[in-house]
Amino acid sequence: MGLLTILKKMKHKEREMRLLMLGLDNAGKTTILKKFNGQDVSTISPTLGFNIETLEHRGFKLNIWDVGGQKSLRSYWRNYFESTDGLVWVVDSADRLRLEDCRKELSTLLLEERLAGATLLVFANKQDLPGSLSKDAIREVLALDDIKTHHWCIVGCSAVTGENLLTGVDWLLDDIAARIFTAD
Amino acid sequence: MAALGVEVTVPKDDGETNTAVNVPESVLRRDQARLEEAERRRNVKESQTVKEEKSDFFTSTFNAEKTAVEEMLSSSNFSDRDKAAKTLEEITVRIQQLQKFLNDSMLFLTQYEIRQAQASMQKLQSSLDEKRDLVLPKKKFAFRSRNAGATKQPEPSKQTTDKSASDVGGTVVVDAAISVYQCGFSNAENQVLIMQAEEIQQKDVLLSHLTNCKVKLYGCPSTLHIKNIRSCEILCGPVSSSVFVDQCTDSTLVFPCQQLRTHNTTATQIYVHVTSRAIIEDCREVRFAPFTWTYPGIHDHFKVAGLDPDRNNWTDVDDFNWLAAGTPSPNWTVIPETERISSWDFVGPS
Ligand SMILES: Nc1nc2c(ncn2[C@@H]2O[C@H](COP(=O)(O)OP(=O)(O)OP(=O)(O)O)[C@@H](O)[C@H]2O)c(=O)[nH]1
Ligand SMILES: [Mg+2]
Repeated sequence: MGLLTILKKMKHKEREMRLLMLGLDNAGKTTILKKFNGQDVSTISPTLGFNIETLEHRGFKLNIWDVGGQKSLRSYWRNYFESTDGLVWVVDSADRLRLEDCRKELSTLLLEERLAGATLLVFANKQDLPGSLSKDAIREVLALDDIKTHHWCIVGCSAVTGENLLTGVDWLLDDIAARIFTAD
Repeated sequence: MAALGVEVTVPKDDGETNTAVNVPESVLRRDQARLEEAERRRNVKESQTVKEEKSDFFTSTFNAEKTAVEEMLSSSNFSDRDKAAKTLEEITVRIQQLQKFLNDSMLFLTQYEIRQAQASMQKLQSSLDEKRDLVLPKKKFAFRSRNAGATKQPEPSKQTTDKSASDVGGTVVVDAAISVYQCGFSNAENQVLIMQAEEIQQKDVLLSHLTNCKVKLYGCPSTLHIKNIRSCEILCGPVSSSVFVDQCTDSTLVFPCQQLRTHNTTATQIYVHVTSRAIIEDCREVRFAPFTWTYPGIHDHFKVAGLDPDRNNWTDVDDFNWLAAGTPSPNWTVIPETERISSWDFVGPS
C-alpha cells in the first residue's frame, strides 16, 4: 500500500474533512466561519492571507480553510486546493455589479483537477439585506444547473443572523460522508 | 471560544507536515507571506534555466491558443442560432482552459508576463461577451420587487440605456436590475443629493456614476457601495458592515463603518471611522483622516449600526499591493492636521 493510501485511510478513520471556503472579497466568508464557530463577528477585518479553524461537528473533525478573496490574492487560491473534500463558495447576494465576476471565478475553479472530487456548497449570503437576490436568481446567474462535474447545492443564508448556516454545512457533510466514509 | 487557527499546515514538496501551535493571526499572515516569498525565491534560484524554458513554452503555447480563439471569434459563421450557440460554448470552454493554463503557469512567470497574459484574457473574454450579446441576446430574468419603494433616482429614464460605464462585471441583466430595485443614486451630475434616515435604514445603498455631486445620507445603511465616482463629496452616517469603494477619483468620502474596502481609487480623501480595518487595492494617492462629520441623531445611529464610537482604527490601512513588512505603502498617506476639512456644511440645514 502506498503512503498516500495509508494517509488517506487514517484521515477517514478519524472522520476528518477538509473544507475550503472561497469567493470574492467582501462575500462574508470569514463572517460565516466565525459565526458558525460561535465567535464575535464585529471585529473581522478583510482577510490578508488565510484563516484556519478546526472544529468538531456531528462527530466529524472539520478543518476549514478560509482564504482571502481580494483580486490580488486570487492567484494564491490554488495553493489550498490539495485534498479538499468540500468547496464552500460564498456569494454576496446583494452585490449585483460583481455577479458576473463571481460566475467567472467559480467556473474557472470548477475546471481545477485538484478540486475534481470535491462537493460544492454555494452560500447565497446576505439574505438579510433588502436588495439581495434570492438563491434562485443566484443559481441562474451563476449557471449552477450547467454544473455536471460536481455534486452541488445552493443555500440562501445570512452570516449576520446565522440563518441557514447549519442547513448548508449539514448538507455538505452528508454528501461528503456518503462519498468517502461508506467504502470502509 | 479560545482556540483560533490552532493548526498550521505548511505544504512541502514531500507530503504534508502538521504543526500544532498557538500563533496570533498576524504572525500567521506574515509567516504565510514570508513562506510564499521564500518559496518563490527558492524556485527562482533552483530553476532559473528551467524557468526560462517553461516561460518560453508558456508564451508560445499561450499565444497560439489566443490567436486560435480570436480567429474563431472573428471568422466563424454566427448566422445560424443553434450553430452559433455551439461555437460560443466551444469558445467559452477554450477561454476557460486557457485561463487555467495561465493560472497553473503563474509560479514561473514574471509579474509582467502575468499582467500581459491577464490583459489578453480580459480582451478575449470581452470579445466573447460582445459576440454573445450580439448573436444571442440574453433573456432578462425577473427580480422580486420587494425593495421597489426605496428607489430614488434623479434620472430614471437614462438607467437602462446607460451602459457607457466600463464596469468589469456589469452584464446587461444585472445592470437593468439595478435601476429598478436598488436604494441609492445613480447617473447624476452637478447635483445635491440627500436621503433621510428612514429611507436608508438597514438597507444596502448604492451610489454609482456620479460626477461633481454632493451627497448626504443622514442615516445608517447596512452596507454602502460607491462606484464610478468623480469629483464628488459623499457623507454618510454609520454603516453597520462594510463600505465598498471602486473606481473613485478626485473625491472626498466621509463615513463610519465596520470595514472599508477601497479599490481602483485615486486622488481621494477619506475621513473614516472604522472599527475593524480599512484596506486599499490598486489605489494611488489616497489620503486618510479621522471621521469628523456630525448631525443630530448620529449617536443613536452609531448604536443602531452596532459600531463602537470609541474605537477608530483609521490609521491601520492594509495595502493589498504592498505586502512588504517594515516599509510603508506609497499608495496612501495621512492628511496633515492643518489640511483637514473641519466644516461639512455644503448645503443649508436639512
Ligand atoms: N448584512 C450582512 N452583512 C454581512 C453578512 N455576512 C458578512 N457581512 C458583512 O460583509 C463584510 C465582509 O465580510 P467578511 O467576512 O470580512 O468577507 P470575506 O468574504 O471574508 O472577505 P475577504 O476576507 O476580503 O475575502 C463585513 O462587513 C461583514 O460584516 C450577511 O449575511 N449580512
Ligand atoms: Mg475574510
